[in-house]
Amino acid sequence: MNLELQKGSRSKTLAAILFITMAVFVGRLFYLQIIQHDYYVGVANQEQIKRLAIPAKRGLIYALDGQTPVPLVMNQTVYTVFADPKTTTDDTKIIDTIRKIAGGNACPDLQALLNKKDSRYQVLATRITRSQADKIKQENLNGVGFQEESQRVYPEGSLAAQTLGFVDFSGVGRYGVEDKLNDELTGTDGLLQSVTDVRDVPLTIGNNNINRPAVNGKNVVLSIDRNVQSHVEQALSDGLKRTGATRGSAIVMDPQTGQIMAMANLPTYDPAKFNLVSDVAAFNNAVVSAPYEPGSDVKTLTMATGIDKGVVTPDATYNNTDYIKVDDRTITNATLGQTGEITFQHALNWSLNTGFVTVAERLGDGKSITRGARDTMYDYFYNRFHLGQLTGVEVAGETAGTVVSPTTSEGNAVRYSNMAFGQGLDATMVQVASAFGSIVNGGKYYKPTVIAGVVDASGKYIANKITQPSMQIAKSTADQVRSMTHVARDTFFASLDRPGYYIGGKTGTSQVIKNGVYSSDETVGTYLGYGGSEDLSRYVIMIQVSGDNKLLQGARDALPIFTDISNWMLNYLEIQPKG
Amino acid sequence: MSYQIAQNYSSRRQQNWSRNQNTVAFVSAIKLGPVTNVVIIALMVTILGLIYLTQATRATGYDYATQKIDSQIAALNEQKSDLEIENAKLTSLETAKNSSVASTMTTPATTEYAQ
Repeated sequence: MNLELQKGSRSKTLAAILFITMAVFVGRLFYLQIIQHDYYVGVANQEQIKRLAIPAKRGLIYALDGQTPVPLVMNQTVYTVFADPKTTTDDTKIIDTIRKIAGGNACPDLQALLNKKDSRYQVLATRITRSQADKIKQENLNGVGFQEESQRVYPEGSLAAQTLGFVDFSGVGRYGVEDKLNDELTGTDGLLQSVTDVRDVPLTIGNNNINRPAVNGKNVVLSIDRNVQSHVEQALSDGLKRTGATRGSAIVMDPQTGQIMAMANLPTYDPAKFNLVSDVAAFNNAVVSAPYEPGSDVKTLTMATGIDKGVVTPDATYNNTDYIKVDDRTITNATLGQTGEITFQHALNWSLNTGFVTVAERLGDGKSITRGARDTMYDYFYNRFHLGQLTGVEVAGETAGTVVSPTTSEGNAVRYSNMAFGQGLDATMVQVASAFGSIVNGGKYYKPTVIAGVVDASGKYIANKITQPSMQIAKSTADQVRSMTHVARDTFFASLDRPGYYIGGKTGTSQVIKNGVYSSDETVGTYLGYGGSEDLSRYVIMIQVSGDNKLLQGARDALPIFTDISNWMLNYLEIQPKG
Repeated sequence: MSYQIAQNYSSRRQQNWSRNQNTVAFVSAIKLGPVTNVVIIALMVTILGLIYLTQATRATGYDYATQKIDSQIAALNEQKSDLEIENAKLTSLETAKNSSVASTMTTPATTEYAQ
């Protein structure tokens, strides 16, 4: 009986111990699995779940070849070859292989890099292509790895460099379209969240998997025509060599749409080697970012203002004495001798400043440039022709320039007399060319643009709709001024143009302000013109040449560049000459 | 495990019966003990576990196959884009200008236009 009791007692004790042990286990498991559930799930997820960014491809940039998009900027995957000097085994083989395959992309003194045995990361070659990387991989070099990255490549070299801009080493667009449209071109990275194995291969197990595909950047098609751009760059380069100018800019626009067909600046740079550029001024697209006093080109706008307001006509006359007084200043003509009663057409042909100061006076009381005259000029120059304000062209770094308002003390009669012949105001070439476009197309102002459309994911080109123009001056006014510029060109330069076409233009030679005063040893030469048939102007071209301490003239230095491009454009656009 | 004869026959008359009622009852001769039950349950659990493991492994196998195909697609896309770049370079204006064909071209002395 005692024995039975003892037996029962042991069993109970054992049961109690087992129960307590189980209770401890259950308690502990309850704590770990229920109370600490979130914590341990988090720890497990950290170990097992990887979040991998799926990089979006930056959008490509196309130019046009006629109506067909051709790539100007593309993406290429390149590789950086690196070594872990601690784990490399055959340094001689590594050096030989890298030198043989990577060539100029190999870093100098590879032996010294591999000798740094304390280091775990040494770059042996940069920006090698996929095929080069494959060849190196085939050699099975111990301790050598590859890092993949995307870089921009430019099949057309430096063509339209300042319009394009470049992408810096952190992947951000700088200057040009790359900068202005950075958000659209960048796209949105995707996300892959998944349980992975030890080699980071994503597995479908788990409940928290995310597979959000990347949204690639937009493929943009520029209105830049690569053939026009190439010829403009060549003509500008030739012109600079001929004239001795050190800087030059050119823009070619379609006056019927506002689309820019070419924009060139010299000196230029190679966007693939942007890091080697020593003067950052080369990055700027001076056509949109460098306002200047356009000079006599603006006389066409002054004439349009006068005709539109009904105070002058091309055949109306004034008495030219080669100088005119405005308040305490005397304004003289650059060309002397065309004195007497002459028409405004004659004044435009000879680019006589007095004629256009007279137009400004006739906008007022006929004797002086009154406040009313200044208000009218400001309305036309600023509000209608959009000088001195941003055009919104899709190129970074656009600068507004200045048209001084008559409400300010600087906006006096002297200022406006100067503005009548293109001094005393700052405007960019794109502003002046767009304003002139509204004259040669019959009075419609189109916002200038470099974007023609997009290429969708399937590779189809979708052209943008042309924005609605705003009517700024009467068609009859525009037609008269267009005709005046045709006559002005024909008077002196008819022999330069191909016969059977309707070409017009205006020279400009503007003074440059240095240290607060107009310099006598530096001028900027400009030519602003159009071409096409008598019924329809197909292009507006503006040329500017300049250089430090160089006296450059519109007729002598800029006009031949215009002529070169204009005659080429007539062929390129297949415009039929009039018989 | 123990066996015993468990088929008991009884005549209809020995029982109260009614229409549509089975007149013969079959009782299994095999009786399973608790150990057998445990073993069978354990086997079933094991089989279910194996089925689960097979399926999970197969799914993971598909993941590896998918990954391999994805890598091939990526490599082919890269190759395609390299070829597109090469094509763009070969058809660029710079290449055309420097071509042997271009170097032998001359400017015509006169041009006539179709009216």
